[in-house]
Amino acid sequence: MITAGVLSAALITSSLLSTVGVAANAASPLKIGVSLSLTGDFSDSGLAAQRGYLLWQQEVNKKGGILGRSVSIKIVNDASSPDQVVTNYTNLITKDKVDIVMGPFSSLLTIPASRVAKRYGYSFIEPAGGGPKVFAEKNPNLFFVQPAATTKGGDVFADYILSLPASQRPKTAGYVKLDDPFAAPLADNIKARFEAAGIKTVYDQTYPSETADMTPVISALAAKNPDVVVGGTQSADAFAQVKAMIQLKFSPKWLFLSNGASSPLEFPQQIGANNTEGVFTSSDWYPKSTAPGTAAFIKAYVAKYGGAATSIDSTSTEAYSAGTLLEEVAAKTGKIDNKTIIATLHKGSWPTLEGNLSWNAYGEPQGSYLLTQWIGGALTTVWPKTTAQHAPVAPKPAWKN
Amino acid sequence: MHLVVQALILGTLTGGVYALMASGQTLIFGIMKVINLAQGAYVVLGAYLTMSLFQWTHIDPFLLILLTTPILFFVGAATQWFLLRPLRPADATELSLLVTFAVALGLEGLMSVMYKTTLRSIQPGYENHSWTIAGYQVNEVRFYAFLLSIAMLVILYLILQKTKFGRAIRATVQNPMSAQLLGVNSNLVSAFGFGLGVATSAAAGAVFGLITPFNPGSHYDLISRLLTVVILGGLGSIGGSVIAAMVMGVGAALVSALSAPVWSDFTFFAVLIIVLLVRPRGMFGAKVRGAL
Repeated sequence: MITAGVLSAALITSSLLSTVGVAANAASPLKIGVSLSLTGDFSDSGLAAQRGYLLWQQEVNKKGGILGRSVSIKIVNDASSPDQVVTNYTNLITKDKVDIVMGPFSSLLTIPASRVAKRYGYSFIEPAGGGPKVFAEKNPNLFFVQPAATTKGGDVFADYILSLPASQRPKTAGYVKLDDPFAAPLADNIKARFEAAGIKTVYDQTYPSETADMTPVISALAAKNPDVVVGGTQSADAFAQVKAMIQLKFSPKWLFLSNGASSPLEFPQQIGANNTEGVFTSSDWYPKSTAPGTAAFIKAYVAKYGGAATSIDSTSTEAYSAGTLLEEVAAKTGKIDNKTIIATLHKGSWPTLEGNLSWNAYGEPQGSYLLTQWIGGALTTVWPKTTAQHAPVAPKPAWKN
Repeated sequence: MHLVVQALILGTLTGGVYALMASGQTLIFGIMKVINLAQGAYVVLGAYLTMSLFQWTHIDPFLLILLTTPILFFVGAATQWFLLRPLRPADATELSLLVTFAVALGLEGLMSVMYKTTLRSIQPGYENHSWTIAGYQVNEVRFYAFLLSIAMLVILYLILQKTKFGRAIRATVQNPMSAQLLGVNSNLVSAFGFGLGVATSAAAGAVFGLITPFNPGSHYDLISRLLTVVILGGLGSIGGSVIAAMVMGVGAALVSALSAPVWSDFTFFAVLIIVLLVRPRGMFGAKVRGAL
C-alpha cells in the first residue's frame, strides 16, 4: 500500500512537474542572437539589417510568436570587426545561451561567424554574406537568404541580352570593373557568356578601389564606343562611372551596373533623378517587387521607421526574410531547434520576400536575381519574362544632364 | 590622339583641383613645420558645410565659399591655439603628427554622427555639365575649380608677399626668435597662419563635393594624395605643390586612359620615389621655401 501510495504520489508529482516544464518551455521566449556592425565601415548596412530583424521581431510577436513563444532578439555590436564578431557569437551561444543565431552583415564577417555557429551545432541563417568564400567553407548549417550567390548577380542580364535575336544583340562590349571580390567576378561571368556568344570585347579594365576620378577610364571606354557597357561596381564607383559618362556625353545602348544602381534612394540622388532612365541592375528585392508579403512588409516598415518604400534598404528585407524562414520551419515541423532548422531547410523551396529560396548542401541559393531597369523613375523588373513588370527599354535614352 | 588630348584636358583640370587642396597643406608646413594629417578631414568638413548651406539657402556652392572660408579659418586657428600651441617646441613636429591625426579622427566621428556614413554630393544642377570644344569635353565644374585654384594661389601669394601679416609669417618662418624680438606675436601669427591653411579647405571642399561622392571616411584617401603632392612638390613650396598636382593629375589620367587604371596611382608613386631618391627635398623644396 505504502509502495503504491508513494508510486502514485511520485507519478502525480512527475506528471505535474512535466506539465509545468512544458508550460514553462512554451512560455519562455525564443532567444535569438545576432551580431551586427552598428558602428564602423559597414554600419549603414548593419543598421539596415538591425531594422529588418527588429521589424520581424515586432511582427512575429504580434502574431503570438513562434509556437507560442515570444521572440526576443539580442543584437550586439561587432564594430565591423572580424575578430569581434567571433567573440560576439561565442558569447551569445555560451554565455547568453540563445536558442538560435542569425547572420551579421558582409561576407567578411559571415565567414568567421559561421564557423562559430558550426562548432556549436547551431544553424546559421544569414542575410548578407554571399561571396564565393562563404560557400567554400562547406558549412552545412549555413543558409544565405538571397536568390543566388552574389557573384551570379549579372547572369540574368546575360540571359536577357542573349535572348535577343542575333540582329538586335550588341556587337561590342566594354567591361569596367572595381577590383573587388564581388564586383569583378560578376562582370567576368557576364563577359564569358557574351564572348561565347560572339559579342566582341573592345574594352576590359579593372580599377582600384581608391580611384575617385573615373573620367580618364570612361574616356578610354568611350573611345571604343561599345554597344553594351557592363560595370562591375559597388556604390561610390558606380555613381562616379555614371557621372563621368554624363560629363563625357557617352551613352551606351545598354548599361548594366552590378551595384549602386540598385539603391532606390541613393542612385537618383547621386547622378540626378533625370539621368537614371534605362540603366540596368540586378536586385533581390525592390519596392515594386511582387513577392507575396511585400505590401504588408512595406506598410509595417514605414509605420515603424517612417520614410517611404524607396528608402528601404534591401538589407532590411534580407534580415526580415531570415526571420520569416524560422516561422516557416516551425509551421511546417511544429518544432524550432537547430537540428530541425538545418534538416528542414535543406529540403524543398521556401517563399520569402526574396522570392522562393532553396539551397545546395552548403547554403548557396539556387535561384537567380531579377533584372531590373530604371523606367519612369523607378526600378522595374524586366527579366525573366515570367515576372517582368515591363519590357526592357533599349537602347537606353540619352543622358538628360 | 583624341584620347591623349582628352586625357590631358581631364588631367590638367583634376590637377587644378588637387593643387587647390594641397595649397593649404603646404602653407601649413611652410609656416609651422607641421605635417597636418587633418587637412583631408578639413576638406571633407568643407564639403559637408557647403552641402548643408546649399540645401538650406540654395545659394550657389561657389558663392558659399565666401561664407565657409571664415568658418574654417576659425576652426583652423582654434586647432592651432588649443591643441598645437601647447606642445613643447622640441617635440612639436613629431607630436603634431599625432595631434592632427587625432583631430582628423575626431572630425570623422563628428561628421559620422551628424551626417551618417551615407555617400553625399553637392548637386546644384550643373555639376555634370560639359562644354564640347572641338570634339573634346570640358567639365564646367572642374574648369571653374581650376580657375578658383589659380585665384586662391594668387591670393595666398599676395597675402604672404604684400601684407604686413604675410611679412610677419615669413619672418616667423625664417627665425621665430628674431621675429618676436622685433615685435611679432609669433603665437598669434602661427594660429592665423594655420587658420589660413585650413581656410583653403572651404574652397577645396566645395569643389570636392561637386565632383565626387563623399562620406566622412573620404579623408583617408584624400590625405594620402595631398601628402604625396606636397612631398613631390617639396614640403612648404606652394608653387612646387601646384606642379606636383599637375604631374599627378595628368600622369594619372594618361596612364588610366592609355594603359590601365590599376597602374595610374602606382606610376605616380614611382615618380615620387624616383624624385625623392634624386632630390630628397622634392622638386622645389629648398628654393621656393626660401621665397616664402
